[in-house]
Amino acid sequence: MTSLLQNLIDGLGQGSIYALLALGVAVIFGVMHLLNFAHGELITVSGYAAVAAFGSNLSWWLVAPLIIVVSIVTSLVIERVAFSRVRGASEFTQLLTSFGIHIIVSAVLIMSVGASVKTFAEPPWIFDRIDVGPLSLEKFDLLVIAVTAVTLAATTWLLQRTTFGLSLRAAAADFDTARLMGVDSDRVIRGAFALSGALAGVAGIFWLMRAGNTDPSAGIDPMLKGVLAALIGGLGSLRGAVLGGLALGVAEVLLRSQLPSSVAVLTDAVVFGLIAFLFIFRPQGLITVQHAERV
Amino acid sequence: MKARVFPLAGAALLFVGIVGVGLLFETIQGGSAAERLVTAMFINAIIVVGIQIYIGNTGVFSFGHIGFAAIAGYAFALFAIDPSDKAGRIADAPFGLADVSASVPVAVLIAVVVSVVIAAIVGIGLARSGAQSGAIAATVITLALLFVTHEVARSWSDVTGGERAGLTFGIGETLDGRVAVYGALFASLAIALLFARSGSGRLAKAGREDALAARAMGIDPRVQQTIALLLSVAVVAVGASLRVYEVGSIQPGQFFFDYTLLTLVMLVVGGRNSVTGAVVGVVTITFVRELARRLGSEGFEVFGLGLDGVPLDWVFREGLPRVVLGLAMVGFMIWRSKGMLDDWELDEWLRRRFTSDQEAPMPAEAHSGTAASNQLVARDVIVDFGGFRALNGAEMAASSGEVVGLIGPNGAGKTTLVNVITGMVPPTSGVVALDGQQGEIDLTSAAPYKVARAGLVRTFQNLRLFSSLTVLENVEVSKLVAESHRPSERDVGAEELVAAAGLWEHRDRRASELDYGNSRRLELARAAAMNPDFLLLDEPTSGMSDSESLNMVEHVRGMAELVGAGVVVIDHDLQFIVGICDRVYCLDQGSVIAEGTPDEIQADPAVQAAYLGSAANT
Repeated sequence: MTSLLQNLIDGLGQGSIYALLALGVAVIFGVMHLLNFAHGELITVSGYAAVAAFGSNLSWWLVAPLIIVVSIVTSLVIERVAFSRVRGASEFTQLLTSFGIHIIVSAVLIMSVGASVKTFAEPPWIFDRIDVGPLSLEKFDLLVIAVTAVTLAATTWLLQRTTFGLSLRAAAADFDTARLMGVDSDRVIRGAFALSGALAGVAGIFWLMRAGNTDPSAGIDPMLKGVLAALIGGLGSLRGAVLGGLALGVAEVLLRSQLPSSVAVLTDAVVFGLIAFLFIFRPQGLITVQHAERV
Repeated sequence: MKARVFPLAGAALLFVGIVGVGLLFETIQGGSAAERLVTAMFINAIIVVGIQIYIGNTGVFSFGHIGFAAIAGYAFALFAIDPSDKAGRIADAPFGLADVSASVPVAVLIAVVVSVVIAAIVGIGLARSGAQSGAIAATVITLALLFVTHEVARSWSDVTGGERAGLTFGIGETLDGRVAVYGALFASLAIALLFARSGSGRLAKAGREDALAARAMGIDPRVQQTIALLLSVAVVAVGASLRVYEVGSIQPGQFFFDYTLLTLVMLVVGGRNSVTGAVVGVVTITFVRELARRLGSEGFEVFGLGLDGVPLDWVFREGLPRVVLGLAMVGFMIWRSKGMLDDWELDEWLRRRFTSDQEAPMPAEAHSGTAASNQLVARDVIVDFGGFRALNGAEMAASSGEVVGLIGPNGAGKTTLVNVITGMVPPTSGVVALDGQQGEIDLTSAAPYKVARAGLVRTFQNLRLFSSLTVLENVEVSKLVAESHRPSERDVGAEELVAAAGLWEHRDRRASELDYGNSRRLELARAAAMNPDFLLLDEPTSGMSDSESLNMVEHVRGMAELVGAGVVVIDHDLQFIVGICDRVYCLDQGSVIAEGTPDEIQADPAVQAAYLGSAANT
């Protein structure tokens, strides 16, 4: 029982990061119907910004906000340079565009800073633990959970209580109609990319803290987790994305602790396989409302 | 037989083209590096052409083909590598895999069989998910296949040799000479072009263009997609085996993201909807990438220009080939998303070049002989959409030889009734039955393609043509379905129908290039080609001027008589309805409120009230 609770809390710590990533993926999918394979590049680029900042002897307290800013800017630049030009194109075109961006970013990094792994110091307290009764909790996990909760609360406020949030939700429900109703599509899409970048930035801080390094293809892993979690949540459903992220984190920790290590490394594959299997029966996504096609 | 001449000639020309370019490069460059590059290009061409068979014909996007390639590659390596070479790596392999061995051709065959069996399983899943162009489910399922295969290859080291070591051929036991590669390359080109021209390939393309319209024409796109998938994976499996045989080893990373990227870039840059495009893409990307690689490692020295002093070091570096690939992908997606050649195909060009100009076939005579006595009946149809009752006990009947109209104000349920009859909306309750050419059939809730095959064929309110197929191909597709499902002793050919629709001079143009009136006529001809018992026309004159819609009256009558079909037509245009119909049903709020000749209907007070509102309503 105790170990289960322990696993659950560890899993929520891990899952919170995935939830933020998944939310970013889901926001973009909602407005553009694009499964963004370039989402992880926000963390790759932020990672190199962090490397540069540590090179100038900045502390984590200054690097953290920097990561968020870099992530937002990167997200907006990618939108401006590439995605804005394929808006309204087929899903096929958009998907391959995001795939291409992933390749370009990682290759440019190989060219400019080299393929080798760059390391930096994790914060000294990262492995500190607090004992609560029989549980031994990582400070880091608690911090992640708290920050994620605050970020999600802020995002909810943004989406539910502001005009921008209303336009974004309207655009996600029916993009064309929202435009006809006077929603400025450019602004909404840029806003969605900024929001997605900000969420990836917050996730990126923790991702990088834990990893302590980055390399040109570091974006694949967070992208995969974000996409998987968003898929679990039903793609496009924002609440689903958050739940999907938490579920993925908990599932990973549980499987790692319960299964022999040779099988546990297959967690991602098993989860992905299961999702694919579910998609066979719910092709529109697991939670998404179906839009009937008019004939 | 004659139909196969052009695809085979096209395959031969493409083969000569790519092999010629390869050998020319080898001769100019010399050396074993150039030789290896060219062999790799040929093998990549086999794999890319294999992927094209699926993506090009079905429009379903697959990330998973390199996953199939990995499966085939491992199957091939496990059987082709001599047990003595495997002993060190996978001595503990289950099922005695460490000790099996087979000749190379047999190993290739095993690789094909294994990967095709897995493709069949995945194909069932894809079909179940209703894969179609742009479907996210297909992306997810195929991407999952790629990742799962990769993870399994990495972790199941008892069989695969694990992440780094992999499986390796003994020295001197790898691909020697190119005969096998040439054979496989020509075969893959021939298979791809023959499939594209085959009935199955053309039906698959109809599904690619518009899955819903394809189903309404009696096509079950899932069947064609599955055939395309199996064929495609078989070709990819041969290519993957050769790739492993040529490299001499296999590791998980060899068939993963990077190779997926490379093959997809080759396919989309050349033009995914064309085999010729796939080949052009392979050649182009191979040499562009090689150029980038050399510039990256040697700078301008490559050209002996001695420009090394120019400060371009930041460009000419390791990583340049990847940047070029990525830029090619994004650039083509932004500026030319259908690739260099779009769907231009060499064999089709040959056919047009070398077949003489045909005369328009004589307009066929109207259907004569014993008048058919088919009956279409819909009874007590109720449809609830959530809490809203769209149809409330609606009914209608039609017999062959007559034109029956369905009218009613907006929201009366006309289109819903046609959707129920054609299987696109399942009724909450009620009966749809057809007594036609194939005897009496209950069609209640039957799948749309079954309804079409039974003899009820529809057109759409918002025109749904197979837009990138030619005018003639649009009609031929229906004809193909009719040939296997609706045989008739008196067959009106596709060309005759196109001529009858007044579209003969446009027959080789894409459907998307037609103007509105011609598009409507093509849609009608395509439906008529199904040799239907009944044509159901959903607002055939919407958006037409008065004179055009009068013209359409003649046209609909002519087509119906030509194929001997009864007609059910929905329209708002009272002039059109009065001009064409023998009998009219008027629907309001989901039920029939009047039935009779056009004159009776026009005089009916209930109809007038429904259209204009009565004192009681206001």
